[in-house]
Amino acid sequence: MTFDWNIVWSSLPRLLDGAWMTIWLSVVTMLLAIPGGLALALLRLSGIKPLAMAATAFVEFFRATPLILQIYWVYYVLPAYFDIQLSQIATAIVGLACNISAFNSETFRSGIVSIRQGQWNAGLALGMSRFSVFCRIVAPQALMRVLPALASTWVSLFKDTSLVSIIAVSELSYVALQIRAETYRILEVLTAMAALYWLMGYPQAKLVDWIHHRFKVAE
Amino acid sequence: MTAAPILVFENVVKRYGALTALAGVSLTLHRGEVVCLIGPSGSGKSTLLRCANALDPLDQGRISFDGHEVRSSETSVRLVRQRMGMVFQNFELFPHLTVLRNVTIGPTTVLKLGQAEADARARKLLAKVGLADKETSHPSALSGGQQQRVAIARALAMEPALMLFDEPTSALDPETIGEVLSVMKTLADEGMTMLVVTHEMDFARRVANRVAVFDKGRVIEEGTPQEIFTAPKVPRTRDFLSHLGWHGESK
Repeated sequence: MTFDWNIVWSSLPRLLDGAWMTIWLSVVTMLLAIPGGLALALLRLSGIKPLAMAATAFVEFFRATPLILQIYWVYYVLPAYFDIQLSQIATAIVGLACNISAFNSETFRSGIVSIRQGQWNAGLALGMSRFSVFCRIVAPQALMRVLPALASTWVSLFKDTSLVSIIAVSELSYVALQIRAETYRILEVLTAMAALYWLMGYPQAKLVDWIHHRFKVAE
Repeated sequence: MTAAPILVFENVVKRYGALTALAGVSLTLHRGEVVCLIGPSGSGKSTLLRCANALDPLDQGRISFDGHEVRSSETSVRLVRQRMGMVFQNFELFPHLTVLRNVTIGPTTVLKLGQAEADARARKLLAKVGLADKETSHPSALSGGQQQRVAIARALAMEPALMLFDEPTSALDPETIGEVLSVMKTLADEGMTMLVVTHEMDFARRVANRVAVFDKGRVIEEGTPQEIFTAPKVPRTRDFLSHLGWHGESK
């Protein structure tokens, strides 16, 4: 068996473009899924029955079905039945953002309810509005508690972006598999792909470990 | 009593499901007065405080503060709470903020004071409770007694007309109870109007103008500390006091 690493070197610009798309997808998805998750969590905690139920249904649907199905669904079902035709990248982002929002909402919700009533009371007793108590007292403490969980979701998201290759979004996996199809150099290309994912993912995993350590709940 | 009433409870009823926490309590607090609420745990004392600033809504009856009824609409309640300081059994300092920011958060967010002015006010109060050197600490670095003194400063920073104390020393180690009680005694001596739920009978006897004894959601006896501690009229009061090892003569 011979290796031809030249394939990798000559394809490196395309692979790096793919890697860049992977990073871009992850960042944009998270930027949407943080406010999205917070909104869902607040709806579920709002006490307004229809809103809470709608948010719960959304969350439970996206948590309990495979991401790959959700991406297909957005890609094929929206255009066919609702006449909504999104570009591949937009499809990928909608699918990922809905999915990650659902997970983030559970993270935020558990963080918010973990702050005891006494903290609310202390803020309210000063004459602060509920909104102000939430923003200045409850949310900052809740955020510190959920940061580790949020970071773990980020790392999963980073890897799960590879799933959008099924709708031909040219992120790292898609590009790598294309190069493989063009060159038949399976081993070299997959190794290069693994190396790139690992080089990007490992520092993130280490960062998550650090965050877990740094933000251990302390009272 | 010539001073004007500032906080008036009229026939206040509060239920939690099947449990009646307050079964018709009437009590009047006058300006400059210190009233201690004593009685067994679960007798409704703390509930009465939470009703006073509408952290708990009433089921029946009426509470008025400074001539205005305390209602549970958010805006009017907030005006009442601004002028009624509250100190909690578990301190409830904000753990993510420094001591100084714990004290300034009320004045800056509610009274819209500038940060510099709020800082100056907070420093004066921290000095008053003996914690001037702790302003950059976080609450977790303080002892219970220190945390409770910060909580008192936090409430005072709103320049309240009245202070509510909900068992302020019950969660403290015995050796730090004294420092909190002495801050409270100073406040009382300065003329602060105070409603204090406490199990510290010695404090009630020395500092209160009046003592109200609670049992099963009612005030069963009310009077001067002299009357309550030396010659309680109601047998249940005598039982309660003797349970605490208080026999009226220990002066």
